[in-house]
Parts: sequence; structure tokens; C-alpha cells
Amino acid sequence: MKTFISLDVNGRKHQLAVDTRAKLTDLLRDELRLTGTHVGCGTGSCGACTVLLNGRTVKACCVLAADVDGQQVTTIEGLSEPGELSPLQQRFVEHHGLQCGYCTPGMVLSAHQLLADNPTPTEADIRHAIAGNLCRCTGYQNIVKAIVAASEQQ
Amino acid sequence: MIAGEFEFFAPKTLAEALTLLHTHHSGCRLLAGGMTLVPVMTLGLAQPGVIVSLNHVSGLDGVEDRGTTLRLGAMTRHATVGSHPLILEHAPLLAAAARAIGDVQVRHRGTLGGSLAHAEPAADYLCATATLGARFLLQKHGGERWLSADAFFVDVMTTALAPDELLSAIEIPKQAAGSGYAHQRLRRVEGAFPTVLAAAQIAPRGGPARLGLGGVAPRPVVLDIGEVLGNGVTPAALDEIGTRAFDAARHALADLNGSTDYRRAMARVCARRAVAAAADMLAPGGR
Repeated sequence: MKTFISLDVNGRKHQLAVDTRAKLTDLLRDELRLTGTHVGCGTGSCGACTVLLNGRTVKACCVLAADVDGQQVTTIEGLSEPGELSPLQQRFVEHHGLQCGYCTPGMVLSAHQLLADNPTPTEADIRHAIAGNLCRCTGYQNIVKAIVAASEQQ
Repeated sequence: MIAGEFEFFAPKTLAEALTLLHTHHSGCRLLAGGMTLVPVMTLGLAQPGVIVSLNHVSGLDGVEDRGTTLRLGAMTRHATVGSHPLILEHAPLLAAAARAIGDVQVRHRGTLGGSLAHAEPAADYLCATATLGARFLLQKHGGERWLSADAFFVDVMTTALAPDELLSAIEIPKQAAGSGYAHQRLRRVEGAFPTVLAAAQIAPRGGPARLGLGGVAPRPVVLDIGEVLGNGVTPAALDEIGTRAFDAARHALADLNGSTDYRRAMARVCARRAVAAAADMLAPGGR
């Protein structure tokens, strides 16, 4: 079953027919080919699919595509121009805040949200802010260092 | 992609939503934040034939000052419940419960009404709303009714909501100025669902004092502890409160988070800690 929706993704307007069974992750990855939004668990536990919906982070695997009609979505691709890195992304590179990289898009968007809400977070604030994003490689230390560095250079 | 086919509706008004519910009520599920419903549909554990999203209905969210009470729209997101100035001033226990739920992303999307209607026994809001003496507005096509927490919460994941009814608002009595409160939550890691919850709400100068327990019975348990605190928050009073919590948890369900015995033991610990912390917030000689 299809339903028609219009939405804004990274500043681009789209009008499309989506399968009612599709989730926002399916829409972004399969229809719009924005494969920076990763799917880990698909059930709201890992945070790899984190995107901004109307400016607030959500887990895209828990949102139906049909339900984002008229909404505004920002994915990791919307954080910087193609081929460039945002200052926050640059700090992740410099501080080795990733290893396999699977969690990284969601992790960066959660950090982006934190720094937008609270430009001078404590380390505890940072750890609470990324509690919804699982990383199985880094042990989180270098991710926290990267976010601290980004906050200091804002 | 979710495996099963379903019809999807996104009404813009409450009247439209109620009409859809009236027409389709068997096999129809209301979608609020989707923090539980979408994962369980993904896993094939729920296969509704019709989904009615409440995310586009105007007027179902927000916090309103109604004099002696606050009225919260059922679609108010956890992040708003946890930070709204009116809730922080008049029912900070509810705000504390909201801030403890899940993680940042879940709090941005998940809703007060969605969690209450799902009625998972250890959910933060069940214990908090029952402790605060909340009332629940159930609406359907051509009718509405208000229920107390005791009438609304029926059993494990079961409320008094009929198939053609939706929970549209929650009314919370404003708590007396100078009250103490605590939301004591035992969980395995940050963001995990609570194993046992204790919520204490203590009014100053001998006013009402209540202890709520979650995760220890099919629905929230609220104990009136005003009399036990008659001589203040003494060690003997805390012992008595711990014993009452232990007794109230005697039929606690066992699951991977804990056995019945563990939950009983932790109900005692959490109850004591919650009451002690709430009492500490009262002004000196405030009880």
C-alpha cells in the first residue's frame, strides 16, 4: 500500500509515494540513497540510525516513513558539503573517535545535538548525551575526547 | 521494512482520529511516538491491520495551567515533560520520571500518553502519575470519561481503554509548595528499563505523603505513608516503610531483570531511599 508524502531532507524538497510499511531508514537509504544513515538493530536500541527530525535527534528505525509527511529531516550528509567535514566531524578524525565507523553517523548527530543545546558540556553531559548510541569498538573514550575538543573549539 | 501490510491514516484533528477509531476499532492501533509499537511491528510481534498516527493531530500536546491542576496533552513528548517550567514548578516528580526514560532520542520522540497506554508495569510514568494522583481523560466518538490511576491501570500492559477510545489528556494535581519528592530507579545500565521504581511525594507540615512502587506488581502500587511519618522521618519510620514496600512486592513478576525475591528486596531499598531523599528536600522541620 502506498501513501504520498512530501518532506524536506537536508534542505531538498521531495514528493514521493512511500510504502506504508517503510520506515524512515528505508526511505532515506533505499529511496533517496542517503546511505550515511546506518541500520544496526532496527528496533531502537543502538542509535546507528539517528537523524534530526525537525531539528531533534530521533531513531529513524522507529519512525514510519508515511509519518514524516510535511516534516524536515537532517541526515549525516546534511552536516557538511560533499567532500568536506564539519568541525565536529574533523575532531572525530583527529581524536580517533571511530574505528569501524558503523556507529559514527549516529554518534556525530547525537554530539551535534548536544553541542547545539549545550555548547559547554561536562564530560558527564557528553556521556549522557551519547547514551542512546552504542559503539562496540572504541570503548567510547576517544569519542568523548573528540566531543570535548569540538566543544572547546566552538 | 515492516513485513505485514497495514492501512495508514494521519488525521489532523481529534474528531477525525476518533471517527477512524470508531470505524476501524478492531485491528486498529494508535501510533504515538512509536518507541514500542514500531519495534514490535518490525519484529512481527504486533500485526495491526490499521495504523492511526496521532503525530499530526493538533491540540493533543502541550501543558496547560488549569488552576489547581496541570493538564498535559497525551502527545506531549518526554523531553517536554522533563523540562516544562509548569511541570518543574508544580509536579517535578513527573519531570524527573520523564528525564529518566530511555535516551535523548527516545525522549525527543516518545510520548507521555503512549507510555501510559502501553502500561508496562515498571514504566517511569505509571508510578509517577499514580503517586501524584493523576486523572486520565479517555475520549471516543460521541463520549468521554475521566478515570483515576487506580481505575485506568488494570493489569500488565492492560488499561481501561476500550478499543474505540483514546487517551487524550492527563491531569496532575499541583503539589503543595515546599513539597519533597524523589524518583528512585533501579536499572542495570543507563537507559535500561527499570527493574524496580520507588516514587515519593511528601507535602510539608503534615500534608499528604505517598510512596509509589513500580515493577513490583501488575500495576503501580501507591501507599499512603502520612501516618508512618507522623513523628517525622525517623529510622523506625523508614524501617516500617521498607517493610510495607517489601510486603507490597510479594507477588512481583520474575523476569531476566530479577526474581521475585530480588525485586522484593530492592523494593525495600528503593522505598527507603526515595522517602529519605524526598524528606531531605523539605525545609528543616518541614514535616
